[in-house]
Amino acid sequence: MSAVNMAVDFGGIKMKNPVNTASGTFGYGWQFQNFFDVSELGAITTKGCAAEPWAGNPKPRMTEVPGGIMNSVGLQNPGVRAFAEESGPFLQDLSDKGTAVICQVAGHSVAEYVAALELFDELCPWAAGFELNVSCPNIAAGGAACGSTPNGAAEVMRACRPVTKKPLLVKMAPVRLPEIARALEAEGADGLTVINSIPGMAIDVHTRRSKLSRPTGGLSGPLLHPIAVRMVWEVANAVQIPVCGVGGVMTGEDAAEFILAGATAVSVGMASFVDPAAPVRILRELEEWAESQGVSDINELRGAFEC
Amino acid sequence: MPTPSSARMHDVTIVSNEPIASDVYSLVIKAPKLAEQIQPGQFVNIRVPGNAMSLLRIPLSYASADPVEGTVEIWYSVVGDGTRRLSQMQPGAQTDLLGPGGKGWNVPESCSRALLVAGGIGAPPIVCLARELSERGIAFDACLGAQTGEKLVGAGELEELGAGEISVSTDDGSLGLEGFCTEPASALLATGEYDYVATCGPEPMMAKVASAAHEAGAYCEASLERMMSCGFGACNTCAVETTSGMQGACMCGPVFNAEEVVW
Repeated sequence: MSAVNMAVDFGGIKMKNPVNTASGTFGYGWQFQNFFDVSELGAITTKGCAAEPWAGNPKPRMTEVPGGIMNSVGLQNPGVRAFAEESGPFLQDLSDKGTAVICQVAGHSVAEYVAALELFDELCPWAAGFELNVSCPNIAAGGAACGSTPNGAAEVMRACRPVTKKPLLVKMAPVRLPEIARALEAEGADGLTVINSIPGMAIDVHTRRSKLSRPTGGLSGPLLHPIAVRMVWEVANAVQIPVCGVGGVMTGEDAAEFILAGATAVSVGMASFVDPAAPVRILRELEEWAESQGVSDINELRGAFEC
Repeated sequence: MPTPSSARMHDVTIVSNEPIASDVYSLVIKAPKLAEQIQPGQFVNIRVPGNAMSLLRIPLSYASADPVEGTVEIWYSVVGDGTRRLSQMQPGAQTDLLGPGGKGWNVPESCSRALLVAGGIGAPPIVCLARELSERGIAFDACLGAQTGEKLVGAGELEELGAGEISVSTDDGSLGLEGFCTEPASALLATGEYDYVATCGPEPMMAKVASAAHEAGAYCEASLERMMSCGFGACNTCAVETTSGMQGACMCGPVFNAEEVVW
């Protein structure tokens, strides 16, 4: 047990410590149960699900780049009903053990987000909150992400807000962050997850083909950590609602940077692919760091960076 | 909840790491629990230290396991920075791996004669399977292919394991027949003597073998390769298109019923 109070309140989601997992890097939680006790974490965020199953993109879906990976999985998911049926018992148990379960919501249009969220709210009573992934291509808007403009993001939040009484978070695309964050706050978002993967490209110059099945993919990993820290700092300064920092957290010190930049919680992403027990290792390292700072409560360290 | 991967973290020590063909190495690791558990066709995901910019593990199949010695032998081809660094690891060096992962070969009880078809570095899981067939007393023949004779691996092992006929093909004709191993494989399958076919190698090769097996009425399994982030069912990157939708190679494979793969 840490000498420092590690509990945080992430927009109404009570977390026994600030460590969360980034959606899409932690499956539905049970994939990791044989590597460590997942109930040690403050929260987990499950892979995005839509109202109906999505097949995802063709292969290749991933390519390694220096300091990270780039993916174009295309949010393959079994749909909320199958997710709730297959993973619900594990997630209910996790929730009973005091780990907040945050379910990510996927959609291609405002109507699809609403439909998915209605199902989540009905079928996942154990969920502590929901995270809207507004970075999916919006078919109705010609493929641009719903969350890539303040109006687009606000529209999704306005439509989803009445659907659930539970905390509603938004996973933010790495564009126009402060203004979109303010628009989401105005529409009743309880917290913001910053940032989603950054669009990138990798080309095989010999075949002249993309190294993925699509021209672009989402970059993640330690290569983008400093960008994510900057973006968390900008958002934390723009809004009153809490922020969860995501992007290339490999160590407790990486997590601590997010807290000092103003994040309330921190998600471990790609590190879990390399070392499936990374989230709990990072939690221990974060506790040691908090102790080393001579505080009694980790909340004292939020935004405590000095220039 | 669905069944999680059988993979666990194992600390391993390198026993030997020697070239066995041009750009192909045999890596023997000490990993007692893994050696007891791993089944033919399964894989390991090994960490190769030495480049902080290169983070992912390398998924590799294995050629043999010795539960008595507590060792596992892996054959790998040097194709990029990760496998080049792996080839430089010395005996005594330590690292870790996740394994055993995935579903291996599932040879039907009723199998009377098998045909094994391997291309290039597809040989190790085929050699591994040959050992199982040999132990089960199931007769088998093999078709091996490689770009050149210098790159061919597995022929000696298959012979030792009691293969009936071994056909060797090379792209340049430097050893055995000139051309792809799919040609002798198709000819053998046309005899109708086989009720089981196992194949591992380049995907177009496996597609041809699967098609020839289908025509011959033989049950065919194929071991597929994909880019993989985690190897234990969490990342959704190693998807294989099947008749029942996208399935992860790490959990639903790497060995698939060839009839169910959308080639």
